[in-house]
Amino acid sequence: MTDAKPQESADEAGQADEGTEPDPRFTFANERTFLAWSRTALALVVAGLGVVQLLPPFPGVPWGRHVLGVPLIVFGAIVAVVAYGEWVRSQRAMRLGRPLPRSVMPRLLTAVITVIGVIAAVVVLVSALR
Amino acid sequence: MTPRQDDYEDRDPGLARERTSLAWMRTALSFAAVAGVVLKKGDVIAGLIIMSAVPVIWELGRLAYRHQGRLKLVTAMIVAVSLVALAVALTP
Repeated sequence: MTDAKPQESADEAGQADEGTEPDPRFTFANERTFLAWSRTALALVVAGLGVVQLLPPFPGVPWGRHVLGVPLIVFGAIVAVVAYGEWVRSQRAMRLGRPLPRSVMPRLLTAVITVIGVIAAVVVLVSALR
Repeated sequence: MTPRQDDYEDRDPGLARERTSLAWMRTALSFAAVAGVVLKKGDVIAGLIIMSAVPVIWELGRLAYRHQGRLKLVTAMIVAVSLVALAVALTP
């Protein structure tokens, strides 16, 4: 948390001497993007906890709530870590004046939510057929 | 009327600083949402541990953006919260 070189320490990845300090507005925007993904991560954790703890059990499918909730919680942690990595990459690209790297997050989130949705449909169907 | 607004824009172009500060507050409140669900389940200790992250995140948002390690700390806190949530979810 030391701040020895206040003009050049925006990049927390240790690349502080690389490139030039970007416009503060861009740094703020990058930070807000990271925070938005952080809230998405926390929302996934809340959703997973809610499924496991607050839903009534699926009749005939005792593992139903865990198979939906646990992956959501784990994915929440993954989203937080990936969001940090993307913040570092974007900050570095801005310092070096390069185009911003493409984000893997939207595709990742879409894929996981689709898979969880399919699993939820299967759990509901299995529960209804028993 | 307008000069006052212009002054504010000069100090904070595009209100980037203020919008970022609001984003930090929303993030702090998101931690409170996780804590609320854990408390609702009746796990008071785990709930209070997660709730203690709220003022920390709130204050992190007030530090200058140049402070190193701030965002890494947020990431670590979310991972820790996920682990606590996982433990709570797997506790019968």
